Amino acid sequence: MGTTKKYWAGVEDLHQTPEFLERQSKEFNEEIPTEDFLSDDRLGSSTTGRRDFLKYLGFSVAAASLAACETPVIKAIPYLHKPEDVNPGMATWYASSYYDGQDFASVLVKTREGRPIHIKGNSKYGLFKGGVNARINASVLSLYDSERLTHPSKGGEEISWDQADSDIMTAIASAKANGKKVRLLSNTVASPTTMLAIDGLMKSINGEDRDTASHISYDAVSYYGISAANEKSFGKNTIPSYYFNKAKSIVSIAADFLGNWLMSTGYAVQYGEVRNPNGEWMARHHQFETVMSMTGSNADYRSAIKPSDEGLIAVAIHNKIASAIGAEKINVDTSSVDELVEGAVSDLLNNKGESLVISGSNDESIQLVVNKTNVLLGNYGKTIDLDNPINLFKGNDKEVETLVSEMNAGDVDVLIVYGANPSYSLPNATDFNTGLEKVKTSVYFGLYADETGSRTLYNLPDNHYLEAWNDLSPMSGEYALAQPAISPLYNTRQAQESILKWGGNDLSFYDYIRETWDYYIPEEEGLFTDIWNKALLRGVYHSGAQAATEMVFNPEALNGVAASIKNVSSSAGNWQVVLYQKTGIGNGQSANNPWLQELPDPVTKVTWDNYLTVSLADANEMGASVYLGEQDPASLATLSVNGIELTLPVVAVPGQKSGTVGVALGYGRGGNGEKIGKAAYQTGEDGQHVIVDGNPLPVGANAYPIVGLGNTFSYRQYSAELSLTGNHYPIALTQTHHTIMDRDSVMRETTLNIYKTSDRDVFNPMHTLAVHENGKMVQKPVKEVDLWAEHPVEGVGHRWGMSIDLSTCIGCSSCVTACHSENNVPVVGKDEVRRARDMHWLRIDRYFSSEMTKDIAEEDGLGKVEMYRLMEVPSNNPQTVHMPMMCQHCNHAGCETVCPVAATTHSSEGLNQMTYNRCIGTRYCANNCPYKVRRFNWFNYNAYDKFSEVNPAQDSVARMVLNPDVVVRSRGVMEKCSMCVQRIQEGKLDAKKAGEPVQDGAIQTACADACPTHAISFGDLNDVNSLVRKEAESDLAYLALEEVGTQPNVYYQTKVRNKNIDNNA
Amino acid sequence: MHNLADIREPLILGEKSYGDITHDVVSPIENKAPKGWYILLTISAIIAIWGVGNILYLIGTGIGVWGLNKTIGWAWDITNFVWWVGIGHAGTLISAVLLLFRQRWRMAINRSAEAMTIFAVVMAATFPGIHMGRIWLAYFVFPIPNEFGSLWVNFNSPLLWDVFAISTYFSVSLIFWYIGLIPDFATIRDKVKSPVMKKAYGILSFGWSGRAKNWNRFEEVSLVLAGLATPLVFSVHSIVSFDFATSIIPGWHTTIFPPYFVSGAVFSGFAMVQTLLLIMRKTMNLESYITVKHVEYMNIVIIVTGSIVGVAYITELFISWYSGVEYESYAFLNRATGKYWWAYTIMMTANVVTPQLFWFKKIRRSFLWTFILAIVVNIGMWFERFVIIVTSVHRDYLPSSWSMFYPTWVDIGVFIGTIGIFMFLFLLFARYFPVLALNELKSILKVSGEKYVKNK
Repeated sequence: MGTTKKYWAGVEDLHQTPEFLERQSKEFNEEIPTEDFLSDDRLGSSTTGRRDFLKYLGFSVAAASLAACETPVIKAIPYLHKPEDVNPGMATWYASSYYDGQDFASVLVKTREGRPIHIKGNSKYGLFKGGVNARINASVLSLYDSERLTHPSKGGEEISWDQADSDIMTAIASAKANGKKVRLLSNTVASPTTMLAIDGLMKSINGEDRDTASHISYDAVSYYGISAANEKSFGKNTIPSYYFNKAKSIVSIAADFLGNWLMSTGYAVQYGEVRNPNGEWMARHHQFETVMSMTGSNADYRSAIKPSDEGLIAVAIHNKIASAIGAEKINVDTSSVDELVEGAVSDLLNNKGESLVISGSNDESIQLVVNKTNVLLGNYGKTIDLDNPINLFKGNDKEVETLVSEMNAGDVDVLIVYGANPSYSLPNATDFNTGLEKVKTSVYFGLYADETGSRTLYNLPDNHYLEAWNDLSPMSGEYALAQPAISPLYNTRQAQESILKWGGNDLSFYDYIRETWDYYIPEEEGLFTDIWNKALLRGVYHSGAQAATEMVFNPEALNGVAASIKNVSSSAGNWQVVLYQKTGIGNGQSANNPWLQELPDPVTKVTWDNYLTVSLADANEMGASVYLGEQDPASLATLSVNGIELTLPVVAVPGQKSGTVGVALGYGRGGNGEKIGKAAYQTGEDGQHVIVDGNPLPVGANAYPIVGLGNTFSYRQYSAELSLTGNHYPIALTQTHHTIMDRDSVMRETTLNIYKTSDRDVFNPMHTLAVHENGKMVQKPVKEVDLWAEHPVEGVGHRWGMSIDLSTCIGCSSCVTACHSENNVPVVGKDEVRRARDMHWLRIDRYFSSEMTKDIAEEDGLGKVEMYRLMEVPSNNPQTVHMPMMCQHCNHAGCETVCPVAATTHSSEGLNQMTYNRCIGTRYCANNCPYKVRRFNWFNYNAYDKFSEVNPAQDSVARMVLNPDVVVRSRGVMEKCSMCVQRIQEGKLDAKKAGEPVQDGAIQTACADACPTHAISFGDLNDVNSLVRKEAESDLAYLALEEVGTQPNVYYQTKVRNKNIDNNA
Repeated sequence: MHNLADIREPLILGEKSYGDITHDVVSPIENKAPKGWYILLTISAIIAIWGVGNILYLIGTGIGVWGLNKTIGWAWDITNFVWWVGIGHAGTLISAVLLLFRQRWRMAINRSAEAMTIFAVVMAATFPGIHMGRIWLAYFVFPIPNEFGSLWVNFNSPLLWDVFAISTYFSVSLIFWYIGLIPDFATIRDKVKSPVMKKAYGILSFGWSGRAKNWNRFEEVSLVLAGLATPLVFSVHSIVSFDFATSIIPGWHTTIFPPYFVSGAVFSGFAMVQTLLLIMRKTMNLESYITVKHVEYMNIVIIVTGSIVGVAYITELFISWYSGVEYESYAFLNRATGKYWWAYTIMMTANVVTPQLFWFKKIRRSFLWTFILAIVVNIGMWFERFVIIVTSVHRDYLPSSWSMFYPTWVDIGVFIGTIGIFMFLFLLFARYFPVLALNELKSILKVSGEKYVKNK
């Protein structure tokens, strides 16, 4: 081998050294430590065998494939730019005001993460101390109604706001040019700035001298008779302010002033103040009425009268007072009712200037008599203030009747409807509807395509009140602001903005309010911005009231009154009809609110229905079913008045006058399939809407057509026919048994005399049990007899408790809807309520008195069976008790011991708490609860078909109302009142952050918050200075079913009636 | 050899030999089943499937498909539960208590009575399960270690006691029954020709060889189990009654309940045994073994326990008056005269009045009368539980919450369904299991067999 190599890798290669040659023959230049590796002993003892390898392989494959599966990703997006007022998990409260043409209230709106979820009264600053009712609490739900109009439309086609503006302004101009009329029809506008805007629009159309345009207002339920009577009596066409809290004697002739009459939210607050037996004095309340109203159920003395006798009663009271003080009488023979009014008259005469006579009638004559009576009693300037009238219910019945005839004559070219639903609530709605067809351009500012909205050409949806700015002046001298708590959910625009725009004003309504306020508020009050900010923060502004003065009655006002009253009382037929409003539904605006539909009527306890109320005697005589229950349907009857027929179920109500029928207004909404909200329609046993002729059947029937036309709308009809159809109709009651069965450990009552003059043993005796001691039988107080080991409760941290005053509870059910809203209580619909499965955590038990008691049975020598049978029958004109009932948070709770899985336990703070996660649903706790306050989730209310039409939690929009602090319960678990434990926790945290003990009153349950009469108080029983502790120790306090030994943390205050009875028998 | 008084009637009629007994018991298993069996099996299978369907619907939809409501949290579910548990009492009483008392007449009936017990307890156990709102979490009731920290069951709750009582009773009854079956399975294994059956019964008989050692252990275990089972007979229904007795609902809160429930259970259990045996005796040609004397003995038990139950009813009424407690006295007056008076009347008539007919020897020795009255007792005892459960809660303390219970078709469907499942299981038992304790019977053949008694 020659050295022919030209290139070499190194010297070694060139010289071909033996080391190089040897290395070159090997694959790897360097030594590989295979020997070391293979000789490692540990390798041999490695545990990774074949099986392990397969296991690892299997695991890796499984892990890889699992990782490939996508788990649902729930995105929580933090605020990039956090809004200043929105703290996740923290509620923000806004002071606002509620007004819907019927109720006014100063409210606080609770928002969470920008969503309004709860309404409560603005008790600190609000007008009427922030009194709210059930309808106002429930109004937050209507914000989230998915059937609300979402955009402006013309003839059903979506249009833009600009187009709407130009169309309507053109229409107005052409109407003006053609000499036709432009009309704006609204309910009573209580907003001064809105009134200015409307006036601005009217002026801009009319110019200086023409009367093309005018604004007409009417109220679904009219009080025109009162203002008309005041005009005649005193020359003031207004409705006065009433002060029930200054009246020692209240006489109401068919006015449901606690539920529906005028400013009822305020009156309830005032009434609560003077119905406290521990107050300086306690008002005495006489009620004369036909249908047992919630107000009547609270009266100390109540007389059932025929509607045709209302005038006679008013005259009888007047004449007796007149003769007592030597004034002129009214020449009407009142001998038939004289006896009834004696008690009322003597109370009135004893409290001159501190009494109040009111009438719920819309008949001018009766109101005139009542005015005169109050003048005789010197009540004006004291309990009645005409110098500071209320600004609600200023509707004019005559003007609206004129409008209808104008429309039918074809004179009206443009009709703008704002805040009212005339196609539904006018007595002559059919005439209105025919007239509406002749109106070229009809505009509706409603929230829904409802009865009116579905008939007008333009639908320009208004904002919900929680989305809008507004100012309100419910009574003179008092102003309230409403502010939006959320941006508009849909493409809606506040009606006032449209009105301003069409009137040629380009300001936003907010700016317009500010401008107006700036203009009217006197400069000497200070810097406007400060005043404004303060008013906005508090929700109210007081401009100062006028001094109330006595009124001089125009004697000529009474001319013709006697004749009119005589005429009414003699025209009466077989059956007389009273149209009334129910506590939940009112005038019908909220008929689509499931919380209100499921709210039991305070007196009848019927939900989800309208019905004919008749007396027990009449029901028996007609052969109508008296006992109504799950499988005991009501009899259907047809009521015919002036050719109008209503077929409705018959409900026999104690306390109703024989020969009369009561029908509630506000039902029968959306009868032509208008989209007004799912809850306005009847659901069948499957929970789906009942469809008749392609349209869903509304709940109840519309009674507005029965309202009498005339000088004033009349809610009484003196001649009607009633006949059973022979058919039956299922009806849903939350309470099917109506008497207390003389069980005095459940409900206790006494009279003011006895309470003031006797020992506790007389009116609220301690419960004792007979025990055997030292060979003798002795009576021992219940508390000393106990099977269980006593745990110290006194002074050991908090002990939350409640006290409920049966004297001031008026049964208004405001607490029930507040509880619904706070605690996400499901709505279950009519069929489930009928099956006694309502989910109310808080219910109001209503008991009627019976003619039979244990004492009477003993006197008469009746057997027990007969006694109990008679006890089940309520009196014809019973005394009524409203008893709020919720979990009693027993210290020795029956429910806690029986739960096999300890899902319900006692907290260290005295609460009986439910652990939903742990609950397996044996229902043993509910069986063993003596108060029957536990509610079982029979179905999955949040998903099951049966509840899709009623339960807000099933609606993608409505579920936004749910309180995020309270879990929505699943199927198969038990639930019940938690005493708003979420609020307790929040209050404790706040106190902890502030570094101080929890102040009494700082924590309030939703029910206590909502109670207009402060009948419910909540607090720490271990705080010896707390209100609830004081109430618990009062002489009136008792524990419901004390002898059972459950030791509740909820105390009741014995009901005290202001009656002239001196012994308990 | 045990001496038998002349006055005693023989317990095995006819000229039976040991082989005859084996043949009589084993031949139905060996031979093809009669058409009637298939028809009955099909009917009960259909009812059982219907019941299962109802249960699935119930579990799938919610307890709301039953007619319960906010006031009445238990109705047919727990009524059925107590009814089935009660029926399940007779078997163990017959096999355990009567074994301890050396009552030979039990030998002809104990096997099927025990089978009935097992199946009835299975049916009973269904109800506490399906009546739960969330049955998928039923394991919460077992005191098992869990990931929830120190979360434990509530030992104060009678429902938890039920869990223990029923599971214990069920397991002891099952073992007792099975131990008794072992020698009989072995006999069948030795008798049948089909290899499949031979193998099957071979496995079932646990390699029984019939040696003296086997018999010795068999006897010992039987006695021990009888000793264990006897207190259970009394404890189970006592504990079931605690569900009510420890509550605070008037009509439930009654200290008389434990003995009252136990005697009621024996009463209803024997009635069910009668119902089943009278059919089986006829259809499976067991007239020689289940004789009029057996029926008479059982009728005597029925009249004794029925009378105890009657006394309990009256005591309850008396105490409700005597206690002076308003709610208690109302609860009982309401029971008897309120809206559920008809249920109370059925209960009183069927449980207290009609069983008294058994005082007449003719009636108590009549198969037809026995059959009719046994069914009447079964109905009456169902109503007893319904009356106790529903009429107490439907009107308790607060009149505002009073309500009525109306069953839905699912309530009815589930109940009928459990009867179907029970019959289905019992028919399978009658076909494939030795319906008489044949080896035990053989032990008394020479004492109480008619052939031997006559020829003595």
